[in-house]
Formats: sequence, structure tokens, C-alpha cells
Amino acid sequence: MGTQEPADTPASSGAAAAEVELSFLVFETPNLNSAFWDAAIARATAKVPGVKIKKLVTPNVDRTAYAKQLDASGNLPDILQSVNPAGFAEAGKLAPFTPEELANFTAPTAGAIDGKVYQLPYNTQVIPVVYYNKDQFSKAGIAETPKTYQELLDASAKLKRAGLTAMIVSGGGADTWADMYPLTGTVATDVYKKTPDWLVKRRAGEVKFSDPDFVKAAGKIADLAKNGYIDKTGLSRSYADGEQAFRDGKGAMYPMGSWFATSADNNKPGFEIGAFPWPSDDGSPVTPTFTGGGTLVSSSAKNVDLAKKWALAFDEDKENNDAFVKADGSIPAIKGYVPPADMGPVYQATVAIYDQGMKDGSITNAFSQEAGDASLPPGLADATALAVQDLITGKKTAEEFAAYLDEQYAKATQ
Amino acid sequence: MTDTKHAVRGGPRLATPPRTSRARRSGRARLTPKLGRFALFALPGLVAYGLFVLLPILMTGYYSFTNRNPFNPPTEFVGFRNYVTLAGDPEFLQALTNTVIITLIVTVLANVGGLLIALLLDRPSKLYVALRGVFFTPVVLSSVVISVIWRAVLTDDGLLNSALRGLGVESPPGWLSDPDLALYSIAWIITWQMLGFCVVVYLAGLQGVPRELQEAAAIDGAGGLTRFRNVTWPMLAPALTINTVMLLITGFKAYDQIQVITNGGPGTGATATMAFQVVKEAFVGNRIGYSSALAAVMLALVAGVSVVVLRVLQRREVTQ
Repeated sequence: MGTQEPADTPASSGAAAAEVELSFLVFETPNLNSAFWDAAIARATAKVPGVKIKKLVTPNVDRTAYAKQLDASGNLPDILQSVNPAGFAEAGKLAPFTPEELANFTAPTAGAIDGKVYQLPYNTQVIPVVYYNKDQFSKAGIAETPKTYQELLDASAKLKRAGLTAMIVSGGGADTWADMYPLTGTVATDVYKKTPDWLVKRRAGEVKFSDPDFVKAAGKIADLAKNGYIDKTGLSRSYADGEQAFRDGKGAMYPMGSWFATSADNNKPGFEIGAFPWPSDDGSPVTPTFTGGGTLVSSSAKNVDLAKKWALAFDEDKENNDAFVKADGSIPAIKGYVPPADMGPVYQATVAIYDQGMKDGSITNAFSQEAGDASLPPGLADATALAVQDLITGKKTAEEFAAYLDEQYAKATQ
Repeated sequence: MTDTKHAVRGGPRLATPPRTSRARRSGRARLTPKLGRFALFALPGLVAYGLFVLLPILMTGYYSFTNRNPFNPPTEFVGFRNYVTLAGDPEFLQALTNTVIITLIVTVLANVGGLLIALLLDRPSKLYVALRGVFFTPVVLSSVVISVIWRAVLTDDGLLNSALRGLGVESPPGWLSDPDLALYSIAWIITWQMLGFCVVVYLAGLQGVPRELQEAAAIDGAGGLTRFRNVTWPMLAPALTINTVMLLITGFKAYDQIQVITNGGPGTGATATMAFQVVKEAFVGNRIGYSSALAAVMLALVAGVSVVVLRVLQRREVTQ
């Protein structure tokens, strides 16, 4: 754990005698680096007198696993950023936010567990968006972005014939989660579109992973890999290396969460990047999204009320949200929030996909990213991400993959 | 007369006058304050050992008989249920197999490689002394640092495959992305890290081989190989014991490299070891009770295998 000095904030520099020191667990990525968190913490602290924040940094981006380790040793931080509340909330380890406290959020009940919201629903992400290399599409003679799944296969075949890798998927090292996004796309188009509350039904035992719809969604990933459209070798790349591989032109399509948008805008590669939603069989729109992901407060925080006040200040602060938008491509779910006018073209294209989804009512959950009652049981998202690698390498067929998930589901809910 | 007899038969030890009970009492009296001082010095170490080694082991043993899950209280006593489940758990069995494969590879390769390098470096020149330092460097580096370095070498865009592509290999192996190769890549990395340790231990052993024995064998007409087989190798028995036991323990508890490089993959359990599975069950699956049973089995295995190997190799030392 990277325990760092308290961020240099007006509150902390004042060193008031009545200050409460609260620990705050954050994670760092290429987009959300140390300087980003320090500045955001300083802005929130300036709004909540009497709080001094001690920043803790997770050793890798898997902040949920790390929070569990801290909890097991009796050191759950007072405030946590973007940790999956599943398990923590049911065990009474998190403090719920009241409807009044959530009044400024556009989806105040997103991620609710038994009717209570434990994680501030501060932003929405589209997962996945297919980012593509416009130069390589032109080189392969692809004039239009794919609207149907068959068109995606045709485009992939053209790219392969042109000697290009169609799709980059990463997931090496501790970043196994980064291989999930094509499957999140196919589950949205083949399962969630038809049955939006599929995971709630799975919890009730009404559906299974081995049902035909889910097997079909998994089969699409196996086929993409079998046909050589997914770059299997990418499985050894970390998330950051995968992103770099796309920037380096090592693949034409990069199915990734919408957070990639600003990274693409801020650090432009030598080609133009476009974006399209993961296509469905009949071309009808499907927009998998996740709303939530914000700050959580431990029920055993030194001062729960003050910690919640600080968490709200952190997530609602306009400048913080601007910073999140600029660094991580988030689409803030705060009432009245308007993103900075100078956002780049990839972010604009990503938001356009989300706006279109809202307009045509095609928003669905994003498989394995869900929070709240409609989420996978603790540990299953990690098991799924590992099993996706078996699908891609051909170690498991779609049927075996689905059976494995049913087995893991049973184990996780014992 | 009697004293002389004793002195001749038993040597100086028996020449010491027999101790009376009074002398024993005064000896004990002298010993008591000494023991007190020793205890005072030993206390901090004993307390730390008790708190950070013994207590966690005992707690792990206790939890292994419960269904402890911090997110699903209450914790209940479940007897041997966790151990019974383990016996039929395919993930545990795969982790056990992977651990055994890694351990065997590391133990054999690092021993053989370490011995060969030690034989090459067993020369007085300054260059060879410097080379000993070079070979020992990976031992003092953190496993995480080594893992990061090797990941940069072995990923598909890494140094090794870039070099292979440069040499005209169109599809170089997926050292870390191919589930059939990744385990061997991990075993190689651990071997590389432990090689320097074996080199140093064998070098120390080689320097303890009496020169006159080598010379006597040479005079008797023994060639280099015969001298090695009949003089050097038997004298290296203690070094072999140390290296083998250390390598076995290192192989059995392999975790860091897997966590950093493959996260147990690619796929489900391709490189998961027992230690990795312990952490995964505890902190991803929240099954602390089950994970404790796994840890207890792992402890018993490591201790059991180490004791057996130690006994066998030490017997070899005595009989040489």
C-alpha cells in the first residue's frame, strides 16, 4: 500500500486542533495519476473544514480486492474510491447515503442494495465503446463503421486480409479485468437487450449462464478469437500496454470503456480515432452503461457524518468532475452538470453514443461492471475475466465457459 | 592410581572431580541469573515470533475448521468440511499440480545450473570474484522487481519476441499468453532468481574441499571427471542439502511472480499455485475459512517434504 503524506490542502496546512484525519483509498492509472488525486482531494477538503485526508494508494487497480485485504486486517479506510460495495454493504461495513444526500444525482438509486445506496452514483460510463483506427479502416477498404454483428465480422475479415490485427484485447498481469469488454458487448446485445434484469433473475435461479442466449454471447467471443480477429497474444499485455498497443497501431479496433476517450484526446496517436457502439445482430442500438462508481464511506469511519460530507463534496465538486471528465472520460451524473466546452473529438463521439442511447432507450447494464442488487456476487467478475482468457485461447468452448460460470456462481453464493 | 586409570581411559573429561550436590546447587545458582539475562535478551524476539509467526499459524489452524467469511457472518465451526471440499476441488488440485511442477523444475534446474556456474567461477581471479557478485544480484532484488523485468522480456511485444521477430520468426511463442507455456516461463523466472543463491552456496562448498584430497586423487591417476565424482561431489553434500531444501521451500510458496506476471492465468488456473490460491480464496472469494484450510495443507506439505528431503540428504552427508 502506498501510504502517502496528507495532501497539502488549506485545511491540513491550517492544522486546526479539532481536525479529524480520515483515510481515503484511491487507485492510480495512466489517466488518474497521483497529481490528479492530490488536486481533487485538496479541492474537496477546502469545502469541508475540520477534515484532513490521508491518501492511501492501492498497489494495483484492483481496489476492491485490496479493500478486502485491508478490511480483513481491521484497517478498512474511512473513505474509499470506486470500490465495488457488494459484500461490504451486506456485511454492514458501509454507511448508506440518505435520499436527501443524493438529491443532486441524476440517478440517485443506481447501484442500490436492498433499497439503500452505499456508493455515490456520480458518473456514467459506456462499456464498451469500440474505438477504431480510421487509417487502418481506410487501408482495409472499410468505408462505414459496422452497424450489425455480421458487418463487424466482415470488417474484421477485411482487416485480416490487409495484414492488420482486427481487435486488441489486453488482460496480462494483474489486469485480467481488461479482457472483459468484448464479452460485455455481446452480453448486452444478446442477453441484456432481451432480459434487462438478467442478473436479478440469475440470483433468483430463474436463468443460468448455460442458457442459450448467454452461450451465444460467449460463442461470439470464441469465434472472434478462433478466426484470428482477436489478438490472442494481447493476453500478456497489461491494461496500459494494451492501450499503448492500440496507440502504436498494432490493432484496428479497441473495445474499451468510455474512459479511454479522453486518454485518446489528451495524448493523440499518429492517426485519427473514431468510436462506434458494439453492434447487435439486427443492427438495433444497444448501449451498455454503468452508473455509479463513486465514493463510499465506511460505517466505522472516525466520523461518519463528516466522512459522508467530504465524500459528497468530493463527488459533487464541479472542478473535480471537470478533472474526472478530462482525465478519465467520465460522463458525470450530477444534475445540471455541463462538461467543459473544450473536450476533444473522441470524448464528443463517446458522449454522442451515450446521448443516442438515452434518446432511443437502448441503455442496458454492462455485464460484470454492475453494482447493487443486479450485480455478480463478490469474486465472480474476477473468475469471469480469467475464464474469458480460456475462451480466447480456445481452452474452453462457449458451453464449457458457461458451465464454469454456473459452477463459480454456486461457489460464490454458498 | 584410580585417577590415572580414569585419565588414561576417559581422557581429561573424566579427570574432572565428580560434582557434589552442593556444587550442583551453587552451579545452578550461578546459572539462574545468567538464564534471566538470556531470557531478557531473548524476550523481544520470542514475543515477536509468537505474535507474528506462531499466533497467525494457530489462528489459521482454527479458522480452517470454520466457515469464516467476513462478508457473511456469523462464523460457525464446520469440522473437517473445508478439508473434505479441498480434496475434490479441481482448482486446488490444479494449483497443487502447478506448484509441484514449478518446485521440481526450480529445484533441479537451479541446482544443476548453480553447480555448473560455481565450478566455472571457482577461480581466484578478480574477474571471477566480480562475476560472483553479478550472479548473486537477482537474489537480493525484490521478486516484484524481477517480475516486472521479466514481464517486459516475455510479453508478446517484449524484448525476447522482438528479437525473435528480428531474426525472422513470424509467430514467436506466447511465453506468457499461451496457457501451455506460461507455467514454464514462471518456473524459469524463479529458477533465474534462485540461481545466484545456489552458486554462492556451492562456491562455499567448493572452497571447503581440501586441496590435498584433490592432489592425492590426481597423483593416483584420477581424471577431472573422476575427481569430481569421487572427491568434489561427496564433499558438496551439505551444500546440496541447503540448496535443495531452500529451493523446495521457494517453489512451494511461489506467489509474487504469479501475482505480478500472470495473475494465475492465462485462463483459469494455468499458473495458479497453492500460495496464489490461498490469497485468491481469501481476498477475492472472501472464503477465509476455506483459504485457511488450504494454507494449513500447504504448511503441512512444505514442512513434510522439507523434513523428509532434509533427513535423506543429511543421511547422505553422514554416509559419504
